[in-house]
Amino acid sequence: MSAEFSMTVNGRTVTVDVAADETLLHVLRDELLLTGAKEGCDEGECGACTVLVDGKPVDSCIYPAPAAAGRTVSTIEGLVGSDGSLTPIQRAFVDGFAVQCGFCTPGFVMTLTALIEENSKPTERDIREALSGNLCRCTGYSTIIDAVLTATEERS
Amino acid sequence: MSGSVGKSVPRLDAEPKVRGEAVYGVDFELTGTLYAALVLSPVPSGRIIGIDTSAAAAQAGVRAVVTAEDAPDLRSGLALDDEPLFASDTVHYEGEPIAAVVADSLKAARRAVSDVIVNIEESPPVASLEAALTEGAPLVHENWETFAPVPGLPEWPRQGNVVGEMTADPGGVDEAFAGADHIVEDVFVADRQYQAYLEPKSATAIYEEDRYTIHVSHQYPWNVRSRTARALGVNPSRIRVIGHHMGGGFGARLDVGLEPYAALLARLVRAPVKLVFDRSEDLLTCNSRENAIIRIRSGVMNDGRIVAREFLCDMDCGAYATDTVFLISIPIFLAGSVYEVPSTRVVARAVYTNTTPTGAFRGVSGTYLNFALERHTDNLANTIAMDRREFRIRNLMDDGHRMLNGQILTDAGIMRTAFAEVEAVAPWADMGKGPNRGVGMAATLWLTNPAPGQVTLKLDVDGTLGVITGASEIGTGAVAMGVRQIAADELGIDPRDVIVTMPDTDVQGHDGGAQGSRTTHIVGRAVREAGTGLREQVVRAGARLLGELPDDVEIGDGHVSVKGEWNRRVTLAEVATQALYDVGPLVASGSYATPTPKYDPDTAVGLLFPTFPTPTYHVHIAEVEVDPDTGLVTVLRYVVVQEVGKAITPEGVIGQIQGGVAQGIGYALYEGLQIGEDGRYRQRTLEAYRVPIALDVPRVEAVLLEHPDEEGPHGAKGAAEPPIVPVAAAIGNAIADATGGAINRIPITPEDVLDALAENRED
Repeated sequence: MSAEFSMTVNGRTVTVDVAADETLLHVLRDELLLTGAKEGCDEGECGACTVLVDGKPVDSCIYPAPAAAGRTVSTIEGLVGSDGSLTPIQRAFVDGFAVQCGFCTPGFVMTLTALIEENSKPTERDIREALSGNLCRCTGYSTIIDAVLTATEERS
Repeated sequence: MSGSVGKSVPRLDAEPKVRGEAVYGVDFELTGTLYAALVLSPVPSGRIIGIDTSAAAAQAGVRAVVTAEDAPDLRSGLALDDEPLFASDTVHYEGEPIAAVVADSLKAARRAVSDVIVNIEESPPVASLEAALTEGAPLVHENWETFAPVPGLPEWPRQGNVVGEMTADPGGVDEAFAGADHIVEDVFVADRQYQAYLEPKSATAIYEEDRYTIHVSHQYPWNVRSRTARALGVNPSRIRVIGHHMGGGFGARLDVGLEPYAALLARLVRAPVKLVFDRSEDLLTCNSRENAIIRIRSGVMNDGRIVAREFLCDMDCGAYATDTVFLISIPIFLAGSVYEVPSTRVVARAVYTNTTPTGAFRGVSGTYLNFALERHTDNLANTIAMDRREFRIRNLMDDGHRMLNGQILTDAGIMRTAFAEVEAVAPWADMGKGPNRGVGMAATLWLTNPAPGQVTLKLDVDGTLGVITGASEIGTGAVAMGVRQIAADELGIDPRDVIVTMPDTDVQGHDGGAQGSRTTHIVGRAVREAGTGLREQVVRAGARLLGELPDDVEIGDGHVSVKGEWNRRVTLAEVATQALYDVGPLVASGSYATPTPKYDPDTAVGLLFPTFPTPTYHVHIAEVEVDPDTGLVTVLRYVVVQEVGKAITPEGVIGQIQGGVAQGIGYALYEGLQIGEDGRYRQRTLEAYRVPIALDVPRVEAVLLEHPDEEGPHGAKGAAEPPIVPVAAAIGNAIADATGGAINRIPITPEDVLDALAENRED
């Protein structure tokens, strides 16, 4: 069983023809060669594959690709401005030493991008709760939380 | 500029990582790649009756199905040559590779794996340390006597399921016990801990011109080279290993994983082969931190002196020896240090079981050894009704402390400063007050791995500095920040103008890998050695360009200038460009390895890892609150005082402390990787195996104690590995304080906390 459908990925309409049980993560990585979203667990636990579907963070490793038909998908590759500039969250990650191995980073950035879209002044507690589906094994989370606080302070 | 060492400079690899552009090992693809998957043993112990590959081979898209028959008939290992690539007649753990499938797609390969029919006559597994050590226990390897140490390693005591035994008995220990006012005995048990790096293991190999090129994200490419060579029975120079960005490792990417399989398969199918583990395969086969049992007994006097100690430790190495026969040396560095214990006997054993082979995880064995020692220290203090902090200070080692291996710690007195720093930040009397709250301390020393490193520096025609090194960036920033900053300061340039290579074993000199916090110390020192040679060349070339004598010019701010005449200067770009045609490219190399500290080889038998080089000193304090209804533990406050030599990048070191403590909190409270009586892991996914999330970890406070090391670059010692070591002990002591009951297991579960509270009520 295959499925042909269209979706908007990082502002461009794409049409793909994939197996009906294919995940959104594999379509992004293997068909569209957008490898910023990572496969860390393939069971929706680690959040390294987080992308936004219609603005909401999803674990793309367990999100059926055909369910994205007609929807808008944003990945880490689509965040930067046309001049290559980083978003405030990305900038704060770089400046605040919130990146170590970096494998989890795209997923964190996507989750946090959705968070501050909804809540422009999140508290530390809001941030920790929003991140409960994203695992980082390197940083101990403090620099990541501080990066969000920095980015949102500068925005306001 | 006035130098970047000691400042927190921008981390250049963070940009590609935050953009999603960084290519990790698992992202790397070669044109024409085929994909492979392994057939793993479904049972922990048994005899292989037959393997039928015909159905799998007939599947669409399948290119080859490979078994032990297609592989060299060899066993190899890190210390003992006991492990084949594929099991042939017996399987020794659930997850042991039996066969491999190569196909056009990863999906096809994984599908065909389930069509390989393996007929195994199961036998009862040796599933625990207790079972393996029982008199008359079945042997995990009936042919254990035929296994030989790797070339260059002497034999050591081993017998049956005991694959290594280390004994240090200075004599007089029993007499010292006889004179003690009190004897306190404790038993501690620790489960396994899974490294749970976010990037699962993978390897991509290609076979060309009778050589194997392997693309990896690996902590130790030179070990991949030598271990793959030995597994395949070829010379190391026939293997080339190229490193890519790495999604964490924490020790699990020090020994080989999938690389020898990918290499073998690439030769057999004559195409690039990519082998990728999914998370459950990765967890099942990973060389996790070993489970262990520790029995510790000490004699203590009423005045607070510790006078005698016996320390017995059994470590589960799983079905193959891996590096555990080295780890059984670690107790002799810890059991008689930090606190003076005049008379100490240590026996440590590595034990075979029918379980996944264990291996290196940050703070190798130190996490549970320190837990046992520091929980026991609290019990000793409580036995003589002395304040736990006062008891520690009373017994603290000083400068000139002699470890059980005879090695002298000339600067061990810095530990007193570390205790004083903790007191200044988190006064003992103020911590752990209030109902259901407690405070705990733990102290340790730790080593800086001494393995060799090499660097070549080249000044480019545009004035940038190339650093050609085989060092791997595991994520700590040791390469991305530390090595880059040290190199920049050699010529007084901006670290952004330093370009560092990725590892390639064909290009660089040997590097001892991202392990034991060695990169900043060892590779940084090699940079300084190379820098001396390069600066000499730059001065000579610059002087020539300026029409001066070398003694009359100096390097600084990206220029060579005439001393005392700052406006008579040429840029490094001009110097490098002119030199190119005058004397050739400006290139210099440097090498370094830590000299082995003096020790007494007669202090122990079976001591394969004989010294503890470049030690650092650590004191941690934790404040916790336990929920008396649920048994859940909240870490309210956590403070680390860490002696670092010199912090090249302070923010980087603090990041290592925060991350190491988070892993330690996971180890202390959540992360038990447990083995059932059936020899199988009970936790098999990241859902069941719970690592800390953002809600679990407090803001860790870090104090860096600078105390420059004579040998280290700018005085730097290792910093990244040790923050995990004392965490379980500090938290365990705090929970014991809060509950008033015994805390003798890692992880400390809510049930353990409720039991400890109930035990206290009964008392």
